[in-house]
Amino acid sequence: MTKKDRITRKTFVLTAVIGSLLLIFMVSANTIWSSRQTNVATDEAVSEVSSFYLEAMADRRAKTITNLINNNFDQMDKAVQFIDDEDIYTKEELQAAIGKVKSLLSLDRFALVDDDDIVYTQYTTYTGGSRHAFLLNEKMDEKSISTVYLYGSSKQLCLAAPTSDLSIRRKKFKASFVQIDIREIVDLLAFDDQGRTYFGLYSRNGKNLSDTELGPFIGKQNLFEATKSVIREADWKKCQDSFEKGEEGSLAFTALGVEETLCYVPIEDTDWEMVVLISESVIHDRIRNISEKNLAASKHQIIFTLVLVLLFSAVLLIELMIMSRKNLEAEKETSKLFRNMANTDSMTGVRNKHAYSENEAYLNQKIMDNEIEKLGIVVCDINGLKYVNDTQGHAAGDKLIKDASNLICEYYNHGSVFRIGGDEFVVILQDKGYDTMIDVARELNRKIEDNIKTNSVVVAIGYSELTDGDNTLREVFERADQMMYERKKELKEIGAKTRLNN
Amino acid sequence: MKCLNRGRLSAAVLAAVFTLTACSSSSPSSGKDEIQDSPDTAVETVSEEQSSSGGGDDYVSSAVDFDHELDGYMPLKDNYNFYFTYKIVHPWWDAVALGMEEAQRQYLDRGIKITYEYMAPKEASAEDQTERLHKAEEGKYDVIGVDVADEDIISPVLDEMVENGTKVMTFSSSDAKEGCKRIAYVGNTHNYEDGADLTEALCEKLGYKGKVAILVGSVGAPCHEDRARGAKDTIAKYPDMEIVATEYDNDSIDLAYNLTMKILVGNPDLDGIICCNMSNPVGAARAITEVKSDAVIVGMDHDYEALRYLHDGVIYCLGVQDCYSIGFDTIQIAVKIADGNQPGELFPEKTDETTTVIYQKDAAIMLELLYGETP
Repeated sequence: MTKKDRITRKTFVLTAVIGSLLLIFMVSANTIWSSRQTNVATDEAVSEVSSFYLEAMADRRAKTITNLINNNFDQMDKAVQFIDDEDIYTKEELQAAIGKVKSLLSLDRFALVDDDDIVYTQYTTYTGGSRHAFLLNEKMDEKSISTVYLYGSSKQLCLAAPTSDLSIRRKKFKASFVQIDIREIVDLLAFDDQGRTYFGLYSRNGKNLSDTELGPFIGKQNLFEATKSVIREADWKKCQDSFEKGEEGSLAFTALGVEETLCYVPIEDTDWEMVVLISESVIHDRIRNISEKNLAASKHQIIFTLVLVLLFSAVLLIELMIMSRKNLEAEKETSKLFRNMANTDSMTGVRNKHAYSENEAYLNQKIMDNEIEKLGIVVCDINGLKYVNDTQGHAAGDKLIKDASNLICEYYNHGSVFRIGGDEFVVILQDKGYDTMIDVARELNRKIEDNIKTNSVVVAIGYSELTDGDNTLREVFERADQMMYERKKELKEIGAKTRLNN
Repeated sequence: MKCLNRGRLSAAVLAAVFTLTACSSSSPSSGKDEIQDSPDTAVETVSEEQSSSGGGDDYVSSAVDFDHELDGYMPLKDNYNFYFTYKIVHPWWDAVALGMEEAQRQYLDRGIKITYEYMAPKEASAEDQTERLHKAEEGKYDVIGVDVADEDIISPVLDEMVENGTKVMTFSSSDAKEGCKRIAYVGNTHNYEDGADLTEALCEKLGYKGKVAILVGSVGAPCHEDRARGAKDTIAKYPDMEIVATEYDNDSIDLAYNLTMKILVGNPDLDGIICCNMSNPVGAARAITEVKSDAVIVGMDHDYEALRYLHDGVIYCLGVQDCYSIGFDTIQIAVKIADGNQPGELFPEKTDETTTVIYQKDAAIMLELLYGETP
């Protein structure tokens, strides 16, 4: 790998790392900023949301009570109708009928009242003029809804309806009524809001009817007495007036260091107000919890994304490195191919003069470093090439060259064969090729001598070995070349054709 | 039945005694002997200082005992039918009714069905009560109970009914005359002492000197008359105390108001009013407030308006009877009587219920206890 390649790779890795870190930083910073913005927006929204939320809660509960009242009045109508249809002649039969209809219609403490204010229940008959507020008036013309809290009894909702047409045992009945324990109503209202809000039923003077705690500060106290010290007098009076008039409204105050918001709505047909209270901190906590959950989810997402990005980057990097290596290797291959092409003689396939020059430079260095012990050079020259070219054409001349090259390669198959001129070849021999150089030269010379007789290819060869006094390959070459010329003369004498004798 | 034996009574307390006595007795001492064998009988009064400092919430809360359970007696029948009649349609007896209903509910949980009538006229009348009793005698009732409207008139009626084989008991505020053959009584056996205790409290407040008036309920009603008698006897002990008027309001708040206004016109320097029933203190307090009199009011019972006046300091003290326990025990003993039992080990001839004297500082707790209201 070149220095330039190394720099490029480092630059690439550095860029990838910086890019990844930058990406992580940007994603994290963006998430934190978004989270903070969400919290700020949440805080601003809480105040608006709390009133709206409470109003909905109070309204829902108020409607539940209204439905309960309407359902009970409907059931009372059915109960009276049922009793009217029965054949009743005795008090015992009336009590049995009341018991039966109570059970059938699931009515709490259903009772009838006659014109003398005598109350008939399933088990008792009593004079009820002082006990039931709806009997204060001699005549009863319309339905009555009242709150009963008598001498330590549980607080109850009393629903009474006129029964002007009912007559039993020749006695006229003026009303029917049911009494519903407010604790049962409270149970009905305690639907799931995850205990985040407090609620209570209040009479118009702020008295708690439901016996439920309206938060730790107000508790079960009178609403207005409890809040008098923590609300501006004008607001307090306004709220009290509104409450007494049976209006709906809301109130915010800070008590025990906690911001509280309460909302009240009137309950239809009653003198009750439904009050729901929530600490703003609860809304804050709730929304903050949601935000924190979202943030935690975002963090996980970010971590997951970053891990993915890192994995992806790593994979990409590895892929790029592999591709880079492959490209490099391909380049090397191409370069080698080009180099081979540059060093190869296209006609014979052996290496050319350029290759010889590279080898010569290489070997010169080795000789200089005294790293070569065995080195021999064989210089070969084709006899009669010019003659063949001139008489038989270049094609025949080229064939002669190829034949000569084949002949040399055949004999010196353990050496490196170079064509360094038109009819001149050099063989560089090391190791085994060096050891057999002289023997092979002898065999080749015999072959060449035979070729002279058959008028085949003739090559004059001369060889030389590296000696201790040699500083360059050229010196070895020169001796071999000299020997080749000597041989060329010998071959001429034997009968080989040369430029000279032709 | 409860016993408020706290040992908190001080010598400084006016007539703070545990007195065992009979309600209808003209002589308190004779009644005392009669019910001494009943360990459950107790009357308690305490001074204002004790009530507000030493007594506290428990003292006031225990004035009415809402926590009742039936005793271990196993009734012989599955069904009982009773008839009860009382003096007048009035919230005091509505409180008694709540105790009766709780006992009826507990019997029902045990599989025993109790039905009863609980009736009264709109105006107190011994004649009306006599008529009701005769009519009830014709009905199929296991026991007939009566809160005696006038002991002189009703006691002979009850004797006659018993002689006819009817099981008769008395209950709530007034027993029959001493010697009446009725089987048992459940209620206040110490009305004389209640009147005396309230009057002692008033005398102490006035420094045992001053003019006082006595408001009573219905003429002949034993409980009212006994309290008035207790009041008069107490006043008589102190030479500087003077009774300037005694009036009957027939258990009407409006009449109590009018009578008080009349007394105040005649006695603008009136120092105190002793009220012997539930309506007396309410009417008196209305009048006192209206004319801005300094007269000190002491009275009976747990009326909501009276408790508000007590809280506001218009009424000095109130004797609160445990109506709830009276109602509960009445049903429980009626069942035993219906089964043919006589007073003895199973129940006393007179089942006494407590009266607790409460003061201004106790009013809030009592209002919360009885009416679920924090003033």
